[in-house]
Amino acid sequence: METTNDTIKQAPLLEARNLTKVYEDGVKALDNLNIKVMPGEIFAMLGGNGAGKTTTINIFLDFIQPTSGNAFINGIDSNLEPLEAKKNVAFVSENVQLYPNFTAMQNIDFFVRLGGKSNYKRSDYENALIRVGLQSEAFDKKLRDFSKGMRQKCGIAIAILKNAPAILLDEPTSGLDPKAGKEFTKLIGELRDEGKAILMSTHDIFRAKEVSDHVGILNNGELVAQRTHAELKGVNLEQLYVEYMAGYMDEQESSGVLVNDLN
Amino acid sequence: MFKLIFIKELKEILQSSRFTISFAVCSLLIILSFFMGAQNYLSGQAQYEAAKQENYNQIAANTEWMSVNHSIMLPPQPLMALVTGISNDIGRDIEVRGRGELSAQNTRFNDEPIFAIFRFMDLEFIFGVILSLFAIIFAYDAINGEKVNGTLKLCFSNSVSRASFIGGKLAGSFVGLSVALIIPLLIGCALLSVLGVNLSGDEWLRLGLILVSGLAYFGLFLALTIGISAMTNKPSISFLIGLVVWIFAVLITPRASVLISGRMVEVPNVDEITSEKNRYRFQLFADDRPKMADFSAPEGTEPQQVMQEFSKFMNELSEERAKKTEIFEEKVNEQYINKRRQQERLALSLSRISPTSVLSLATTELAGTSLDLQNRYMDSAQDYQQVYNDFMTEKTGTGGMTGFRMIISTDDDSGEEPETIDASELPEFQFQTATFTSASKESILDLGLLILFNLVFFGGAFFAFLKYDLR
Repeated sequence: METTNDTIKQAPLLEARNLTKVYEDGVKALDNLNIKVMPGEIFAMLGGNGAGKTTTINIFLDFIQPTSGNAFINGIDSNLEPLEAKKNVAFVSENVQLYPNFTAMQNIDFFVRLGGKSNYKRSDYENALIRVGLQSEAFDKKLRDFSKGMRQKCGIAIAILKNAPAILLDEPTSGLDPKAGKEFTKLIGELRDEGKAILMSTHDIFRAKEVSDHVGILNNGELVAQRTHAELKGVNLEQLYVEYMAGYMDEQESSGVLVNDLN
Repeated sequence: MFKLIFIKELKEILQSSRFTISFAVCSLLIILSFFMGAQNYLSGQAQYEAAKQENYNQIAANTEWMSVNHSIMLPPQPLMALVTGISNDIGRDIEVRGRGELSAQNTRFNDEPIFAIFRFMDLEFIFGVILSLFAIIFAYDAINGEKVNGTLKLCFSNSVSRASFIGGKLAGSFVGLSVALIIPLLIGCALLSVLGVNLSGDEWLRLGLILVSGLAYFGLFLALTIGISAMTNKPSISFLIGLVVWIFAVLITPRASVLISGRMVEVPNVDEITSEKNRYRFQLFADDRPKMADFSAPEGTEPQQVMQEFSKFMNELSEERAKKTEIFEEKVNEQYINKRRQQERLALSLSRISPTSVLSLATTELAGTSLDLQNRYMDSAQDYQQVYNDFMTEKTGTGGMTGFRMIISTDDDSGEEPETIDASELPEFQFQTATFTSASKESILDLGLLILFNLVFFGGAFFAFLKYDLR
């Protein structure tokens, strides 16, 4: 899967450089993680619970500080200049809740303005919601009446409207039905084609394989395997993933053969 | 960003069903407290006028000033009905005599003892108990609720500073909820006028400050609860902590401070004081007995003249005893009052740890129903006693006496009914009501403390959020 515009691939929009995080209780959540996501690329992070996927996203969003290393968004260190860095990124969480007493429109209006976009009209919001597949009858309904899939669509609409060059997705398809999952996959493909750099944490191996340009497998904070979309053709990713998670594969083999050095 | 979050907070509050229910209940209670206060004031005023008239009629039925039994009454005030303080607990009627100690009888609870059990639902109760609870109900999940919902993460995935977020949230919550409370408060104020309770400009100003104090109190509980929410991860935990804080602030601290001060400063009870005074009076009387027994009129004096001489002699003894008693009682009273005030000061100082006590003190001071009401009433009564004594001395040759009284009357053969006295000549009792200036001066410490609590809790919530784990 190639990007539509190779000329915009100059510098990574999202970059984790030697990122290490050790929590106060001594748990090492990230161990020297290196990731680069170029414009027009989707990088899927696979891994079990506690593998370090969400920690990575939390460091990018300055919710936690790394023990060492840096996280850059569009070249800006997100821990040194978080407010500046976050202007360049949109975020969709695993379980988009939004404000239950607000309508979809009110939620979108608030979060889009919070994202620094105050020049949109209602029609722009409507277009974004239609694009993510939300029915027009739902626009002015309160979020408390929405299903998880509908809320997730609102979250994606917010990310689209923020129009940031980079997008962080934390297990975005978790809990979605297959139809909604498929629609979502199509949508992030479109966003990638628009030149967005997307870093996605997921448990959904098949969708990761389907849509991603790079797939990385994290285990105990370490990036133990990384494959491009082309490299994954004909590979049973599920088996590969399970083997890594279970620690069946010889460590030397995996580090020597399967992990690409990002630097 | 601050403005955006501020407006979001306002909208979120106004659109929530929690607000709709709470606002309806609060509005109802506030308006009801104004209505009941107005009704209490009007009925109290009618009772007061009737009692005054009855007292006047009784006096006017007398033919001699010497036979007059005169009582004064605590006049009802509109603010007393809105913030009752101790006004229902102190005696309202005082029988005035020219000399001797005055004592106030008949509290409001004598007439309506049911209120002694359940107390009145006045503004102090509404603010102190109800609105502080509503503040907790509104704010217990202000921060950790957003964390659980995931909206906090979504907000901070944008270029938003923590300071503007918490600032907007605190200001939005306070303004949104305060404005919602101001509406029923204003309706309540209008209701006073509609029901015919006319407040003077001075009273309006004091009522205004009472309402501001109430809102400040509400604000500090709101900030305190938001602060607790910003120090915990689960709404259930912050609600529980808020409730425990509320119990200590509203129920335990004020009562505990009184108990502790009672232990630390011992004050003799009123019965002991009365007994000591009585013993002294009996002693004086016993000392005078031999003098009374030794009284003899010169031989050949007419019986009527003997009686007059005896009456004069007894009066002189009585005056002397009264003077001695007065000096003794003043001394005992002073010691008692000093001890009592020392105990009260300690209790009040300790209780000021609790914002609820501070609110009670501020509002009662502003309404003129604080502990000082009793002192002001007794001071006014004592001033009046002096005026009354001078008046009675002028009318009868002696002040309004206490104790032994001898009335000598002669048969009048004219057959005409003796003329009744003109009761309107009696000097009018003037109660020194609190003024805006005096009430403000008295309440300045507590108003200052309310502001301080607000600064501490708003600041605390602000800084707690700056360190909050957003994940």
